[in-house]
Amino acid sequence: MNELIVNVNGRKRNVLIKEKGKVEIEGKLYSISMTKIGLTSYLLRYGNRVYEIAARRDNANQFEFLIEGNYFDVTVNTPAQEATNNLMSQESLSAGISSVRVPMPGLIIKLKKKPGDPVSAGEPVLLLEAMKMENEIRSPASGVIKEIFFNEGDPVEKDSIILSIE
Amino acid sequence: MFNKILIVNRGEIAHRIIKACRELNIVSAALYSEADREALHVRRADESYLIGPSPAKDSYLNKEKILVLAKEINADAIHPGYGFLSENADFIKMVEDSGITFIGPSSDSARIMGEKLSARRLMGKNDVPIVPGTTESVRDAGEGMKIAAEIGYPVMLKAASGGGGKGMRKVLSPDLFEISYDRARGESAKAFGNDEVYIEKLIIKPKHIEVQILGDKYGNYLHLFERECSVQRRHQKVVEEAPSISIDGNTRRKLTDAAINAAKSCSYYNAGTVEFLVDRSMKYYFLEMNTRLQVEHPVTEMITGIDIVKEQIRIAAGEKLSVRQDQVSIRGHSIECRIYAEDVDNNFAPSTGKITHHRLTSGPGIRIDRGIDLMSEVPVYYDPMLAKVITWGSDREEAIARMKRALAEYQISGVITNIPVFNWIFKQKKFLDGTFDIEFLDTEFLPLVPRKWKEIASEEFEIVAALAGALIKTGEGEAKLKRTSVPASNQWRNLNYE
Repeated sequence: MNELIVNVNGRKRNVLIKEKGKVEIEGKLYSISMTKIGLTSYLLRYGNRVYEIAARRDNANQFEFLIEGNYFDVTVNTPAQEATNNLMSQESLSAGISSVRVPMPGLIIKLKKKPGDPVSAGEPVLLLEAMKMENEIRSPASGVIKEIFFNEGDPVEKDSIILSIE
Repeated sequence: MFNKILIVNRGEIAHRIIKACRELNIVSAALYSEADREALHVRRADESYLIGPSPAKDSYLNKEKILVLAKEINADAIHPGYGFLSENADFIKMVEDSGITFIGPSSDSARIMGEKLSARRLMGKNDVPIVPGTTESVRDAGEGMKIAAEIGYPVMLKAASGGGGKGMRKVLSPDLFEISYDRARGESAKAFGNDEVYIEKLIIKPKHIEVQILGDKYGNYLHLFERECSVQRRHQKVVEEAPSISIDGNTRRKLTDAAINAAKSCSYYNAGTVEFLVDRSMKYYFLEMNTRLQVEHPVTEMITGIDIVKEQIRIAAGEKLSVRQDQVSIRGHSIECRIYAEDVDNNFAPSTGKITHHRLTSGPGIRIDRGIDLMSEVPVYYDPMLAKVITWGSDREEAIARMKRALAEYQISGVITNIPVFNWIFKQKKFLDGTFDIEFLDTEFLPLVPRKWKEIASEEFEIVAALAGALIKTGEGEAKLKRTSVPASNQWRNLNYE
């Protein structure tokens, strides 16, 4: 019998591997079988269905799975590993400067502010072209534009910080 | 027949055209932008040429440079694919004047059908029913409001030179007219360089049904039946199928007759698509004619057995249509899913990056038209469609079953894809029983974004992920591998991805 704590996309489940082909998750028993069918792919059977899984192993405990177009970040820990991790996790908070990020990749077609300009929360600060549409990106905070990191016409990746506000 | 065709496009459609060239023993020449140096179409073509910087206007839309290149490399024809310059009458005229053959219609046909108002006037004259509304552009908001009141709300504002859902605005009541009018004009000006808009009555919950036609340069026409493309998100098609399960033989006959009339009225040659809206009472209205190859052409190829791209090339080369209408029939059913690199739960943002894993699906009734392979880059500059999965079955049920299997087997990672959306669609009663209309996704799916649409399926997949994680960590799956394993050093195995 093997007890594990499996975190799938942020949600933890207790998994008990009982004997060959029998796994219990949160009190429910599953009869399953799994076969490795390629360097990075597995076939998992349970119930009356078969799932094809593409897997990437990041390290001994961490995996990324792709199942029918859905991504899953999976961490598998023993109860002892889990306890150690809990002790170490401490969030730190930062404050003071806000920034404007873009929620999607695209092209900056217009910057409506320059450094030193005042800005209020909710005010449009730039136009981003993505998906053939113009999207207005608004400021999350009020303050003064401190720095702008891109120029008009620049392509930007998702989550890029375009400017900072003090 | 041509010796060399320059393909003025990228992605899956360029790849598709290369295959047609190869079957016809024609040299295929690809062009590419800086962002596409390593793209699949560049590597698959017989020859390929850098045309310019990454933005489309400097590369795939650069008419002058493209023509200079075509002459330099002695291409005797240009295939434009879809999008980009495919319906650009000015470009077609330049190609005609240069002595190179354009694989498409004449610039005159493209111009008249590309200008939505002239197309509406022409259809009106040729007994093809059009959506009630104006056949001239609206001069200002005041005039527009008067017309809208006459037609009756709700109405639709559309770009005179539009297409693809841009510059289109639904107006539900008079108080929203002015703001919608300004927005539609702004979007039209930006997208098409022309801010003219016109008014159409909004047809409530129609289906989008289109007819594929072929016409040669000798006035012979035939139709290849219809496609139903009602599964759309904000006017962008997502799933297409042929034939439509919503129309009877009588309606089919009327639609296909109207489509051929439309083509004849502008002396059309090439493959073309006449789009209609069909309402609950089977009344149909001309929407527009696409004077080019369509993204969804494969479903028609699957049910008729006719290779539309090769027909286009033969027609352009001056050959007569290779089949007669009475030799064409519908066999079985076909469905297409457009696989996009997009993050549905993040406002459908394009998901760019490198394809780090690509395992194709195959088997009975499956066809993949793709623009990517392993390690392809998905650039930010262009439409993020990666591939089209097309299935054929002896009936619709079998085509859907094969599609579900294909999408469960097809693995793409490195970017986020919309594959899970199809799993949702194929579970919906409205899709399965055929009662869906063009508002189906917008009214039933979009309210569940982000995440809610996934909830039921996610629980199932999360359990699978948890089981797989636990078993891999404890070495369960690995033990069985010994029977099937190939040493990691055996490099050719990686080629399986191709």
